[in-house]
Amino acid sequence: MLETFNSLMLGFSVAFQPQVLLYAFAGCIIGTLVGMMPGLGPLAGISLLLPATFGLNPIIAIVLLAGVYYGAMYGGSTTSILMRIPGEAASVMTCVDGYAMTQNGRAGPALAIAAIGSFFAGTVGVIGLMLLAPTLASFALRFGPPEYTALLLMGLFVLAYMSGGSMTKTLAMAVLGLLLGMIGIDAMSGYTRFSFGIIELGDGVGIVPVAVGLFGVSEILLTAGQQETPRVQNPTLRQLIPSKEEFRLSAGPIMRGSLLGFMIGIIPGSAHIISSFVSYGIERRMSKHPERFGNGAIEGVAGPESANNAAATGAFVPMLALGIPTSPVTAVMIAAIMIHGISPGPMLIQEQPDLFWGFVASMYVGNVVLLILNLPMVGLFVNLLRIPYAYLYPCILAFCVLGVYSVSNSIVDVWIMLAMGGVGYVLRKFGFDLAPVALGLVLGPMLELSLRQSLAMSGGDYGIFLQRPIAVTMLALGLLLLALALKPMIFKSKDWRSKVGLEDQVE
Amino acid sequence: MTGHKTGLRGIRSDQASGLMLAVLAVYVWWLNREFPVGTLADPGPGYVPLLLAIALGIIGLLVAVFGGRSIPLFNIRWPEATRAVIILVACSVAAFALERIGYRLSIFAFLVFFIGVIERKKLLAVVLVSGGFSLASYYIIGDLLHVPLPVGPWGF
Amino acid sequence: MKRIALAVIGALAALGVQAQDAFPSRALSMIVPFPPGGVADTTGRPTAAALEKILKQPVTIVNRPGAGGAVGNAAAANAKPDGYTMLMALSSISVIPEADKLFNRKPAYTLDQLDPIALISADPMILVVHPSLPVKTVKEVIALARKQPGELSFSSSGVYGALHMPMEMFMHAAKLQMRHVPTTGGGPALTQLLGGHVTLTAGGPAAISGHVKAGKLRTIVSWGAERHPNYPAVPTFKESGYDITYYIWAGLFVPHSTPAAVTKVLRDAVRKGVDDADFKSQMAKLNSPIQYLDAPEFAKYWDADARRLAAVVQVVGKVK
Repeated sequence: MLETFNSLMLGFSVAFQPQVLLYAFAGCIIGTLVGMMPGLGPLAGISLLLPATFGLNPIIAIVLLAGVYYGAMYGGSTTSILMRIPGEAASVMTCVDGYAMTQNGRAGPALAIAAIGSFFAGTVGVIGLMLLAPTLASFALRFGPPEYTALLLMGLFVLAYMSGGSMTKTLAMAVLGLLLGMIGIDAMSGYTRFSFGIIELGDGVGIVPVAVGLFGVSEILLTAGQQETPRVQNPTLRQLIPSKEEFRLSAGPIMRGSLLGFMIGIIPGSAHIISSFVSYGIERRMSKHPERFGNGAIEGVAGPESANNAAATGAFVPMLALGIPTSPVTAVMIAAIMIHGISPGPMLIQEQPDLFWGFVASMYVGNVVLLILNLPMVGLFVNLLRIPYAYLYPCILAFCVLGVYSVSNSIVDVWIMLAMGGVGYVLRKFGFDLAPVALGLVLGPMLELSLRQSLAMSGGDYGIFLQRPIAVTMLALGLLLLALALKPMIFKSKDWRSKVGLEDQVE
Repeated sequence: MTGHKTGLRGIRSDQASGLMLAVLAVYVWWLNREFPVGTLADPGPGYVPLLLAIALGIIGLLVAVFGGRSIPLFNIRWPEATRAVIILVACSVAAFALERIGYRLSIFAFLVFFIGVIERKKLLAVVLVSGGFSLASYYIIGDLLHVPLPVGPWGF
Repeated sequence: MKRIALAVIGALAALGVQAQDAFPSRALSMIVPFPPGGVADTTGRPTAAALEKILKQPVTIVNRPGAGGAVGNAAAANAKPDGYTMLMALSSISVIPEADKLFNRKPAYTLDQLDPIALISADPMILVVHPSLPVKTVKEVIALARKQPGELSFSSSGVYGALHMPMEMFMHAAKLQMRHVPTTGGGPALTQLLGGHVTLTAGGPAAISGHVKAGKLRTIVSWGAERHPNYPAVPTFKESGYDITYYIWAGLFVPHSTPAAVTKVLRDAVRKGVDDADFKSQMAKLNSPIQYLDAPEFAKYWDADARRLAAVVQVVGKVK
């Protein structure tokens, strides 16, 4: 313990060097700005900034990139809450209740709780990283294809369990998302599937254009033509601050979301989206008033937003403790330190203590910087809502086109976004919940690949899923949740679901 | 969509959407024929899509079957549909123009169309917002973040 | 309103006048057909940085992973041939069209869609196993694999990918059967082995060095023509009596029919770039040996390599 403390002191002595501090600060600001662009998320942010770090020393490089990463996560939640435009897969859930809160005139509290939740989650994540990294890392390595398959299946079962309205409609959307995920070149065999001869579709359908289309564009399509366009909001200072009640409701979701997000974050792969979905599902189930979810429940912002941020920190555990890139984001960061001749590997913590502890300490600093940066900015961001809708929506659309195009300079992505906007509009008119489409799209290719990898490992024996304790546990848990979700459907067909389902139809 | 006056009047919205999903499932199944399905032990590239198409078909039919209490299809009103179509068409034109006449011109024209023609705002405001937006956003994304945004044949 | 007007003036002033210069007059992009952290990526990034200095334009890395590199290679092959899109491809580039032929399907791209610019680096692969496996030499690996035919498994960067081919060469030469677990890149393939989910894999000398030093991986044998300078204790397949070599090389390509004037600019830039002190020190830090060849020599090298790999693909046949 004393040793950890001493090391941490070493870390802070690095992190408080004026130059390091300055770059941590700059990273947070740049990240927040990049994240606020619709369509540009954390990965795009650090990829764009990576070349700028080559000339810096490795500690500063990684501190800067971590700041950008954090900042972009937070900036993404801002656009999700204010405009219903997710910056990355994991903030899809924030859109649902965050934007509903904005419509209820509670944008300020939603942004404030998102900032506080992110801060808490980030801090929990850093503490976990500091104390448990080596232990957790070996756990993370035990996640092979069978475990991953089980995790992804569990994610889908949780979706069924948490569905608020009609379960069949929720599952239909999830399957639709999974099918969208099948588009592109099959990594196992090299076949190009469902690409309709469009070469860019060989890469598959990206989550960013789909999420921006389904959520952001469809919202504008629904709203712009209304007789009464949304009123301009002029919130007073009082309305910007969460009420006591809102603080009380958020405390639990933030804590649960942080723990859950951290655990899912350390698992190799990019299934972080599961953490925000599972957190949302848990909070809805635990709430005394589940019907509030989807209509502006603060728990629906606090939980997923914390989970999302804790997962971001958790992803650093295998990266730092083992030196393996487990997600696109950490891979870019590993490249950033490899460029400086630091070979990533299990000895990183011992060989480069000032890098590791400086990084950990700068994450504390970064979290504080983001909090003090963003809480006052809530007032500034909310001013966006003062812009009359007639000016606002064309600019949002232009931003969506710009952001989606910028991610991979692909006009095809813009077409996907527009098509998804139209599809999302029609589906919402028919009372479908769109979040599962995003979940399915992200999980689809991973699920297929890990299932087939597992079978390749075992030579076609499905028993591999039953021989591995982690996989069995997760599958059992998932099936239990599925059974719980199916129970009301089978035993009493006229339960509250049908009533809620009916109410859901009146948009 | 709202124009029909046939015997379909009784159909519920969920019945219609569920059947549409089932039709989509059949289409996916049809497209999927060209990929080897493989075996249970060694799934090929067509295996998971086939499973998903079957699942979508079944779930689609379930949505239709359980949809008897949803609101009638023709009670869904589409007051904003005209505007939605206009927006999608305008966005498509902008997307088409983007790599041909450059980012700044396409976005400028796009914003002028919406703020000036559709929303009928004052000329000065239209020009200032459209011009300011297209130039400022190009500066931030294109020049500061080094994203190669399309430039038209006139170098602009 | 005033504020908006000010913003417009500010933006206009900042924008200035953009002059139309000779190539390159704007940012370039370098497609890397593998995820960040792999060999193509760690070679691509210093190369891009060196080119950036010489061309005075940003060179952006665009990772487009999938299907053993086919996605990114096809994207580059079909890009506008204006020199603004380059490709940092690995040796697997020659394999994929061959596999397409084998399957009798429409190829994602063909080799004549791409023109070579320069070879940047070439590195032999090294066979590594999980340290829990009771084998230390290639003879023991073969003995173990013979004892349990089809039970050992190896991970790769994707079907017909840069890590798949050397394993197939080995299995063919030693007449072994093993299970193949494709992933989406070199990083994920290594992770599978570190976690003990597969028995062995082929790894790039740079990517495995940290793990070998820490004792988390054990080196067995290399595919090099001679011993690797950083791994002097690791024997080659040739020494062990198997005449197989496999180098994973990284080379720069542009879409075919890129104007000669433009490719010349790029070739000159690369020639200067590989002599750049920063580039050299970065490649040294990465344990990546620079193996520069200009377009004509590289074209020959590529041709020979492509023919050799095509033969392997024919021998391997269709993935079941």
